[in-house]
Amino acid sequence: MTPKPLPPLIAVIDIGTHKTASLLGQIINGEARMLSFSERRTDGVVKGTVTDLERLTQCVHEVVNDIERGSGRAVELVYLSLSGPAADGERVKGLVAVPAHDGKVTAKDVAEAVQSVRRLEPPKGRATILYMRQPTMLDNRPVSNAVGMAGKRLEVNFWRVTMEEGNMRMRVGMVNGINIKVRDFILAAHAAACATASDADKQGVLVIDMGAGTTDWILYYKEHILCAGSLPVGGEHLTNDLSVALRISRETAEDLKLRFGSAMHRENDVNQTIWKDGDKGVGDQQFNRGTITQVLSLRYQETIEFVRKDVLRRLEAIFPGHAVKLDQNMIPSGVILTGGSANLADAAEAVQSVMGLTARVGIPKFENESLRKPEYAGVVGLMAAAITDAPPPVRRPRGFLAQLKELFRL
Amino acid sequence: MASSAAILLVGLGGAGCAMVTRLSAQLPAEVAMALLDTDARALSGGGPGGTLQLGRAQTRGMGTGGEAALGLASAEAEEPALRRLFAGVPVVVLVTGLGGGTGSGAASVVAGFAAECGATVLSFATMPFSHEGERRMRQANDATVKLGQKCHGLVVVHNDLLLQQVTPDAPLSESFAAADKWVGGALRGIASAFAPGALIAADPAVLKSLLATPGSPTLFAFGVGQGEGAAMKAARAACDCPLAHAPGTVAKVASLFVTVAGGTAMTSTEAFEAVGAVRTRFGGETSTILCARIDPALGDRIEVAVLGASLPTPKAPAKPKKGGKVEDPAQPIFEFATEESMRRGLFGGTPMTFIDGQDVDVPAYIRKAVRLPPAP
Repeated sequence: MTPKPLPPLIAVIDIGTHKTASLLGQIINGEARMLSFSERRTDGVVKGTVTDLERLTQCVHEVVNDIERGSGRAVELVYLSLSGPAADGERVKGLVAVPAHDGKVTAKDVAEAVQSVRRLEPPKGRATILYMRQPTMLDNRPVSNAVGMAGKRLEVNFWRVTMEEGNMRMRVGMVNGINIKVRDFILAAHAAACATASDADKQGVLVIDMGAGTTDWILYYKEHILCAGSLPVGGEHLTNDLSVALRISRETAEDLKLRFGSAMHRENDVNQTIWKDGDKGVGDQQFNRGTITQVLSLRYQETIEFVRKDVLRRLEAIFPGHAVKLDQNMIPSGVILTGGSANLADAAEAVQSVMGLTARVGIPKFENESLRKPEYAGVVGLMAAAITDAPPPVRRPRGFLAQLKELFRL
Repeated sequence: MASSAAILLVGLGGAGCAMVTRLSAQLPAEVAMALLDTDARALSGGGPGGTLQLGRAQTRGMGTGGEAALGLASAEAEEPALRRLFAGVPVVVLVTGLGGGTGSGAASVVAGFAAECGATVLSFATMPFSHEGERRMRQANDATVKLGQKCHGLVVVHNDLLLQQVTPDAPLSESFAAADKWVGGALRGIASAFAPGALIAADPAVLKSLLATPGSPTLFAFGVGQGEGAAMKAARAACDCPLAHAPGTVAKVASLFVTVAGGTAMTSTEAFEAVGAVRTRFGGETSTILCARIDPALGDRIEVAVLGASLPTPKAPAKPKKGGKVEDPAQPIFEFATEESMRRGLFGGTPMTFIDGQDVDVPAYIRKAVRLPPAP
């Protein structure tokens, strides 16, 4: 009796500035079931940029070992998250004049337009990582499927993400070095959105994934990604500001941030004195809570303001000459704030005040309760995005020997 | 232009010269002054002391246009004149604005010549406003690192900090007045300590021993008090002086140099109370040098100026204990502190990240010039 073939595996790795998290699942009936999870403190990444490849490789290796051990299955392919300013995006379009004999768009026309996009060279020294589909326009009207429709001018649009070639090779090489292949890259902000925003939200929503070293954002409009961006500012900057202002160590600052921090500064905070340890013993220090909230709220709101400016700047590049407004009409679902720094108290309120849009903290939807926290939106979303965007290749029926090999790995 | 004065105040570059000119009226006679600039027009009005145009061949009197390399070459070209200027001066106080060409480029060269001529060099350097953009900030950061290595004491005044001192609708001149107040106070304090009329006097060598380690963080604070309990008010103001709270400054230092100046009514009890308060805040365990002076012009006001540094204390070679570590007396207490790492905290040493022309690794509250609530 031949053993029943195992369901296909799906493995994702989210390398952040603070932590590297990995999920392994298997696909059963088109849905992912979690097999194992691992997270470790990232080493060798500052502000989303790799500074020590050797230590980062070690860290990724450990995470992969963890999920393999936890599930008893071997990982061959992974999806990697792509965040930070190293990856940059822009809108690219392909134009085709629809042949005049019947004036109807054929699948061939669409393919030709897509081909013309793919022929576009990325900026010098950069490699194209992925294309994300944007609305197709037929005679300047958005259409969901142009095939069979009448028109003259067909325009296909993509959000093209490019990355510096050396940087991309380094990331791929790092994973190859531990004997795994990269199946695909997935934009971290897109992943976070897949975990926290519903399809209805994607009619108009801005998802901000504020991690430790970077703040990634993505804007959806009419179910398609409109634009995305990333800033090298995150939760570590909150900690840094606090440690500079109060002249305390990073660890103490991190602790105070979590316990007493807030993204909103209120007059009342100034009258509150808080103790570092609380036991008022030797070495305990007292601080003015107002200082903590003042420092943190300034940084938090500034970062959100930077996001707002970045969104407007990119929208302007897409729609030159149009005064684009970020308002409830364009973005009915408002802002979804996620990532580790969404845990700061009053974060949603701060975003709301800066953006002038409704804001909420996005909790990833996932079967496992311990991962339903903003800081895991990235890794949970990677898996969701991987299944819908780029499912792993279906395995061809294999011979007896290959199945036997698989068995012995168990 | 060699002078017999104990202190030579040197204004370098546009910002430095402007500040020295503004200060000249309120300084005691013991301070000699000199203005150095590459811009001939800026010097054409003469100055309170002498003037020296740098880089006549390099810039042809046009200024540097923000090029630090040009500022550096201009100063190097005037080496003989600069050495003549600094000959025989025990203390040189260099005031300069970093970010532009002359200040950023020439400061370390000028300070280096002064130090080589045997002077104790104390520098007051202003850093550009965050809004002045990436290039000037980078240039200023590079310049502070170089300047810190050349001079004995370096006090950095962030222009952002000046904005915190005034209400948002105050005229710009008012925020610069804060910088003048601090630097002027320091100079008055130091200068009068060496003057013959001081109650408790010091000599310039004291400053030299205090600032013996180039590159170690220099602490500076200044405060004024008036009316009843003026001394304590001044001491408290000095303790709260924003310069002593700026990021990167040390909280406590080993050696302090405190000057107290007051009107004829100032009592010794008051003066010592003030010094006690300052010591509680800033340390000064190894040595505290106190100078006091009476200046009838101050009336019922009292000024307290504090200068401090942590120098390696030369210890008598300790008897090696069993298992005990023998400390190397030459080991500096502090790591070499550069302005960059001090201001950017945990991100010191990483490449700067600019958004909207601002180095976003610098805390937001500093760039936005927001004054923080006081510590409990």
